[in-house]
Amino acid sequence: MIVSKSFRWSDRRARLALAALLLGGTTPAAADSSMLDTLQLHGFLSQALVITDRNDFFGPSSSGGGSLKFTEIGANASIRPHQDVLIAAQVLSRRAGGDGSDAKPVLDYGVVDYQMVSNQQRTLGAQVGRFKNPFGFYNQTRDVAFTRPSILLPQSIYFDRTRSLGLAGDGVSIYLEERLPQGILRTQVGAGKAQVGDDVERALGLEPFPGSLESQSSAIGQIRYEHDGGRIIAALSTASAEAEYSSSVAALDGGQFNFRPWILSLQYNAEKWSLTGEYAIRKLSLEGFDGFRNFNTTGESWYLQYSRRFLDDWQWFVRYDSLVSDRSDRSGRIFEAQTGRPAHSQYADDVTLGLQWTPVSRLLLAAEYHHIDGTGWLPTQDNPDPTETSRRWNMLLFQLSLRF
Amino acid sequence: MAWLRLGLLPPLLAALLALSWPSLAAADESPVLVAHPDVRTVRLTRDTTRAIFAMRQRTWPDGQAVRVHVLNNDDPVHGRFVKERLAVYPHQLQLAWDRMVFSGTGQAPTRVFSQAEMRERIANTPGALGYLEREYLDDRVQVISVE
Repeated sequence: MIVSKSFRWSDRRARLALAALLLGGTTPAAADSSMLDTLQLHGFLSQALVITDRNDFFGPSSSGGGSLKFTEIGANASIRPHQDVLIAAQVLSRRAGGDGSDAKPVLDYGVVDYQMVSNQQRTLGAQVGRFKNPFGFYNQTRDVAFTRPSILLPQSIYFDRTRSLGLAGDGVSIYLEERLPQGILRTQVGAGKAQVGDDVERALGLEPFPGSLESQSSAIGQIRYEHDGGRIIAALSTASAEAEYSSSVAALDGGQFNFRPWILSLQYNAEKWSLTGEYAIRKLSLEGFDGFRNFNTTGESWYLQYSRRFLDDWQWFVRYDSLVSDRSDRSGRIFEAQTGRPAHSQYADDVTLGLQWTPVSRLLLAAEYHHIDGTGWLPTQDNPDPTETSRRWNMLLFQLSLRF
Repeated sequence: MAWLRLGLLPPLLAALLALSWPSLAAADESPVLVAHPDVRTVRLTRDTTRAIFAMRQRTWPDGQAVRVHVLNNDDPVHGRFVKERLAVYPHQLQLAWDRMVFSGTGQAPTRVFSQAEMRERIANTPGALGYLEREYLDDRVQVISVE
């Protein structure tokens, strides 16, 4: 449970110091007590055990007793120095199969949020700083187990390979919420600089070369309609992220990478069950890499999920999730003929069954089973040689999550 | 099937969906919306009330900061208020709060552990908003009507 009350610290100085830190050096004397009452601290911790029969996912999951290298830890603080202003920041440490250095804490978001209009009809606001991208239903809080319907989000859409690209932008985002007679229409557009991590270079096969991808402009937009208090939710999201490769190898220098996804999201919520589906099209291109693999492909992903609550604090779900890397080569055979790498690396169909239990609101225990045909979203980091991967594989996950 | 051709399916589906959703008609014994006595707003639309309890709207219509107070998710009074007055479910509201709190788009409401504590907090916190069953009302809090 999110209990701001539990942070009514007796040590007022500590609160003042933290408030001053959040406000970027404002003297504590300037922060009055009613503002300090708005200070909130929250956090989460998740640890998973991943067991696979073939292929490795988030660490050496196919050997020994499985992999424990899937850990997510986050902490955030927020304060309202003025009735129209919210300042919020979160630090995230995430390890997903890599070595311990991957868990180095990073600034997940850090925003000043100003609402210029807020009345019974509408809210208009802006976020400046590093803002989370509203992409599909889950991207903004994709690393927080309590906000996910399952241990792993549907990998066809929320895969890890190029996660840094869509995570957050450094810039400005503007949102408008209109209250209509039957529901709420929420629009958000943002522009800024995308983050391009090592994951993208790895996914593009640029890792062996001397050079690096530098992010350029990125833009994101989402329009979301919530009907009748959230009984029906529909959203359309799009983004554009660009990066330029700079390298000492002349043929590669100046290469352009471009990523343009669209996602259509739909959800129906009843008291005891929800039906969720998302469909995505991803345009991905590499240009200007002379003599290297320039390409221009359109990938396609979708999933359909039914989840059901029972006995107050239990929930089970079933999901079918499908990814195709290149719509013009769904079976991957052309890819295999051209590259010698397996056809099954170009798609993935995943049938998942899962269970979640929340015995107390600060604790979430989850387990799920995946039967997967294809390795389309299998992390290359864990499986460096694609020819040694298996087409059909099974995965069992257990996760314990805490929050405050 | 003939009844399909008659176009009966949409109303049938609508009726089914309506059955599975909380009643919008608030019963008389539903908890009432209460605010700090100095709050100048005397009535809210249901949509605004929902936006405020979902922590999406942070101010009263006149611009004053709103301080939302709620009971525990498993408290029956919270359940009735959320279902009957806001027409949503407690787990949906919790998910909405989590999504705000962990994405930098909002804050969580202040949690109180009893209606007596709710009344104290509402009476003593400028801009406070919460809910109480009628027997817990007294003249230190003002009732806000929902249109």
